[in-house]
Amino acid sequence: MKDLSIDFCGVKFMNPFMLSSSPVSNCAEMIARAFDAGWGGVAYKTLATQVTKIIHPSPRLNKYNNQACRMIGLQNVEQVSDRPLEHNLKDIKWLKKHYPKHIVVASIMGFSNKEWEILGKAAEDAGADMLELNFSCPHMAIEGSGSKVGQAFDLLEMFTETVKKAVTIPVMAKMTPNITDMNEPAMYAKKGGADAISAINTISAITEIGLDDLVPKPNVFGKGAASGYSGPCVKPVALRFMADMAQNPDLGLPISGIGGIETWVDVLEFLLLGASTIQVTTGIIHYGYRIVEDMMEGLSDYMEEKGFNSVSEIVGKALPNVHHTDEFDLSRQGVVEYDLDRCIGCGQCYIICQDGGGQALSWDAENRRPVMDEDRCLSCMACSFICPVEDMIHYKEMPKGWVRHDPEPMED
Amino acid sequence: MEQLAERAPLFSDEMEKGLTLTLAMEEAARCLLCFDAPCSQACPAGTDPGRFIRKLRFRNVTGAIRTIKENNPFGWTCGAVCPTAKLCELACSRTAIDKPIQIGKVQRFIVEHGWLMGFSPIKKPDKTGKGKVAVIGSGPAGLTCARELTLQGYEVTVFEKKGQAGGNLRYGIPPFRLSEEGLSREIDEIVSLGVTIKTNTPIEGKEGLKKLKDEGYQAVFVSTGLWDPIRLGIDGSDLTGVMSATEFLGSMRSGKASEMESLIQNKVVAVIGGGSVAMDAAQWAKKIGAKDVYVLYRRSYTEMPAEEKEKIQALNDGIHFLILTQPVKYVGNGALQGIVCRRTRLGDPDDSGRRRPEEIPDSDFELPFDVAIEALATRPEPALKEMAELSWDKNTISASDTSLQTSTPWVFAGGDIVRGPALVVEAVADGKKAAQAIVEHLEGKGE
Ligand SMILES: Cc1cc2nc3c(=O)[nH]c(=O)nc-3n(C[C@H](O)[C@H](O)[C@H](O)COP(=O)(O)OP(=O)(O)OC[C@H]3O[C@@H](n4cnc5c(N)ncnc54)[C@H](O)[C@@H]3O)c2cc1C
Ligand SMILES: Cc1cc2nc3c(=O)[nH]c(=O)nc-3n(C[C@H](O)[C@H](O)[C@H](O)COP(=O)(O)O)c2cc1C
Ligand code: SF4
Ligand code: SF4
Ligand code: SF4
Repeated sequence: MKDLSIDFCGVKFMNPFMLSSSPVSNCAEMIARAFDAGWGGVAYKTLATQVTKIIHPSPRLNKYNNQACRMIGLQNVEQVSDRPLEHNLKDIKWLKKHYPKHIVVASIMGFSNKEWEILGKAAEDAGADMLELNFSCPHMAIEGSGSKVGQAFDLLEMFTETVKKAVTIPVMAKMTPNITDMNEPAMYAKKGGADAISAINTISAITEIGLDDLVPKPNVFGKGAASGYSGPCVKPVALRFMADMAQNPDLGLPISGIGGIETWVDVLEFLLLGASTIQVTTGIIHYGYRIVEDMMEGLSDYMEEKGFNSVSEIVGKALPNVHHTDEFDLSRQGVVEYDLDRCIGCGQCYIICQDGGGQALSWDAENRRPVMDEDRCLSCMACSFICPVEDMIHYKEMPKGWVRHDPEPMED
Repeated sequence: MEQLAERAPLFSDEMEKGLTLTLAMEEAARCLLCFDAPCSQACPAGTDPGRFIRKLRFRNVTGAIRTIKENNPFGWTCGAVCPTAKLCELACSRTAIDKPIQIGKVQRFIVEHGWLMGFSPIKKPDKTGKGKVAVIGSGPAGLTCARELTLQGYEVTVFEKKGQAGGNLRYGIPPFRLSEEGLSREIDEIVSLGVTIKTNTPIEGKEGLKKLKDEGYQAVFVSTGLWDPIRLGIDGSDLTGVMSATEFLGSMRSGKASEMESLIQNKVVAVIGGGSVAMDAAQWAKKIGAKDVYVLYRRSYTEMPAEEKEKIQALNDGIHFLILTQPVKYVGNGALQGIVCRRTRLGDPDDSGRRRPEEIPDSDFELPFDVAIEALATRPEPALKEMAELSWDKNTISASDTSLQTSTPWVFAGGDIVRGPALVVEAVADGKKAAQAIVEHLEGKGE
C-alpha cells in the first residue's frame, strides 16, 4: 500500500478520506468504527448550541431510484445535531484521546455571532484539529441559518471572521451549491479568514411525489418540501464547482471535495480537479464504512501504476485540461464509426439517431443492421452510449474541409 | 491500462468463453453485498467472493484480482471447475430473490482480466532461506502449499512423478473444461515466485520419505492424490479396448493421444460409472469421434454422483445413459466385442444414503461395444502405501483435521490422499492449512 497521507491546511491526514458531517459522523462510537475501517478523518455532525432545541422531522430521508438503479440520489430533511452539545464535545475529546492520529474536524453552525464564537471555542477546547463552518444546509428549519447564510455573503464573511478570531486551529467554510457561482461566497469566506473551502453541501431538490396523496417525499405527516439532495447524481455538479474554485487564482485555498463519492475513481476525479481531501455521506448510507477499503486500495494501485509517490502530486493534475467551451477548436470535426461484426441487431442506435440524433442511420431490416450515412452524423455519440455491445462504436475524426449535411427544409 | 476496458478473450483452445466485463459488472451489480457474506463462508478455500465481487462493484479491479490471488493460487481454475451449485452459489442470499450470483464465472473473469491487463498482485517474498520443505505431488494441494511456504520465506521443492505439473488439473479434467493455456499460466505464476518443481521424480517406496529427510528437508507435505484405478475385475478385463478412465484421460494428455483417438474413432464406447470422471471420459470420447457413447450405471439417474449440470450436458451431447445396468463380463476375441450386462433394481439405502442396486436374476443381456472405459473410484498407488512413516485409514492417509499432521510429526498430508476423491477447492484449502501448520511446526513453540 502506498503512503496516502496529505497535508491539508498544515494538518497531516493519514489519507484524504473523511466522513462528511451527517448521520454517518453522529457520535464517537460510530466514528471509531469508521476509523478502524480505514477513514483518515471526520467532519463531525454539525454542532449547535442548545439555545434552540433541534428536532428532526420524521421520516427523514427519501431515495431517488432510476429504473433498476437504487438510490442514485438521496433527499434528506435532517437538521444539525440533536444531541446535547456536551455529549458531542465529550465524544470529540474521547476520539482525540483514543485516535490521536486521526483528524477530527468539528462542523459548527451558530444562529448568531455569539453562538459561532462559543461553538468554535468549545470545539477547539475539546481537541478538534480543525473547524468546518456549516453555511450550507439547504433546509434548516431555523431562520438565519444554513444555506441562507451561505447565500448572504456579508453574513458569511462576518461569521467566518468571528470564528477565526476566537480560535487558533484552521477553519474551513462549507459551501452551498444552491447558488450560481461558488467563487463569490468562497471569496467572502477567504476575506473572513477561512483557511480552506469544503463543497458541496446538498442541493435543494424534490425527489419524488406520492401519486395517491400528491405529497412530496419524505412525507412528513402530509407535508413535503424541497430539501437537501446528495449521492452519485450530484457528483458531476460538485466536480464542476471543484474546477471553478481550483482554477480561481484569487481564491488559492485548499479544497475538501464532497458530493456523490463512492469509489476510488470518484475520489481520483475530485483530486484531479483540485480537492486535497474528500468527504462522504451518501455512499456510506448506501454501503457502510467498508467502502473506504476499496478507495484506499484502488487509489494506491493507481498511484503505483502511474508512478505517483504522494497524493499531493495528483491534486489539480487535470485542471490544465479544463477550459471554457469558447476555447474549443471548431475546425476539427468527426463522426462515429461502427464495428458491425459485433452488432447484435437490437436497433436502439437507429431509434435514437432518428429521434435524437442526426438521422445519419437508416435500417437494413433484412439483416437487422444500421446503415451509416457519415455525412449526416453529428458525432453526438449518443448511439455509443446506448449500444449494448461494449466499445463497438468509436469516434473518428474527418479530414479538414469535410462538411456535415444539414437536413433539407420540407417542401410541399 | 484502463482497468475497466473490455478486452478480447484470452484462450484460443476449446474451453467455453468466460464472461465479458459488461456481464461481470452486471453480476456484480446484482450482488447484495451481504453482511458477513454467506458465499464467503461457504468457500472451502476462503477465496472470499463476497469481498472480490464488492471490489469489482466499486471499480477496484486490481483489488479484486489481489483478493482472489492472495486467497487462492488456483482462483482461475476454481472459478472454472468448482461445483459452485454445491458451494458458494448454494449459500448465495440472492437465491431468495431469483437466482444466485454466478460467482464461479465472475471469479474466473477477474483472474483473466488481470492476465490481460498484465497485473500480478503477488510479489516474490522479501526474505528467503528460512528452511527446506519438500512437497510430494504437484496437484492443487501440493502447489498451493508450496506457494504459501515460499511466500513465507521457505525453500520449497515439489517432486512430481509425471512429466508435467498439475495433477488432476493436467491429467484428469479435460482441456475443454479447463484450458491448458490457463492452467499453465496459473502454475507459472506459482513457479515464478520461486517454487521448484522436479517432474519425472517420484518419491515412493519404503525409503522415500527417509531419503528426503536425509537430504535436509525439515518437513514434507504428501499430496499425491489417488492414482491407482479401482477396477471391476470381471472376466475379459484384459481384452484390448478395456481400460480405466485414469488411463484414457492420461493418455489423451500424453504422446499416446493419437493412438487413443484411432482406437475410439467411429467405435462404440461404454463408460462405466456415474460420477464426474465418467461424464468427462464420455464427453471426451464423443468429442474425438466415437460413433456412440453409452454410460453404464448400476443405480438410477438421481443416484449418479456427477453434477446435475454435467449430466444434462452429457445427455445434450448425445451420450446415452443406460441406468440400472451392471456389467458382468467383457466378451471378445483378443479385442473387446461386447459387454454382458445384468439388470438391477433399487433396494434399501446403503451407507452413502443412496439406494443400493440389487441384481435381477436371469436378466443378463449382451450389448456390442468396441471400447470400455471404467470410471470407478481411485485409490493410492501401492508404492506409496509402502512408506514406513505413514499410517492409513484403509485408502487414505490419517492426518489431524486441524493441522494435517500425520503420525510422523515432520510429515503432513492433504488433498485427495487424505480426503478420498474430493475437490480442487478442498485441495487448495488443505494446501493452505498444511502450509500454516508446517510454519507453526518449524517456527513454533520450541517443540
Ligand atoms: C476427471 C476428473 C475430473 C474432475 N473434475 C473436477 C471438477 O470439475 N471440480 C473439482 O473441484 N474437482 C474435480 N476433480 C477432482 C480434483 O481434480 C481433485 O480433487 C484434486 O485434483 C485433488 O488434488 P490433489 O492435489 O490432492 O491431487 P492430484 O490432483 O491428484 O495431484 C497429485 C499429484 O501427485 C503426483 N504423485 C502421485 N504419487 C506421487 C509420488 N509418489 N511421487 C511424486 N508425485 C506423485 C501425481 O502424479 C499428481 O500429479 C476431478 C477429478 C478427475 C479425475
Ligand atoms: C442525512 C444527511 C444529513 C446531513 N447533515 C449535514 C450536517 O449536519 N452538516 C453538514 O455540513 N452537512 C450535512 N449533510 C451534507 C453532507 O455532509 C454532504 O455535504 C452531502 O450529503 C454531499 O455528499 P454525499 O453525496 O457524499 O452525501 C447531510 C447530508 C445528509 C444526507
Ligand atoms: S436503518 Fe435503522 S434507524 Fe433507519 S429506519 Fe431502518 S432500523 Fe430505523
Ligand atoms: S445499438 Fe449497437 S447492437 Fe444495437 S443495432 Fe445499433 S450498433 Fe447494433
Ligand atoms: S451471498 Fe450472493 S448476494 Fe450475498 S455477497 Fe455473496 S454473492 Fe453477493
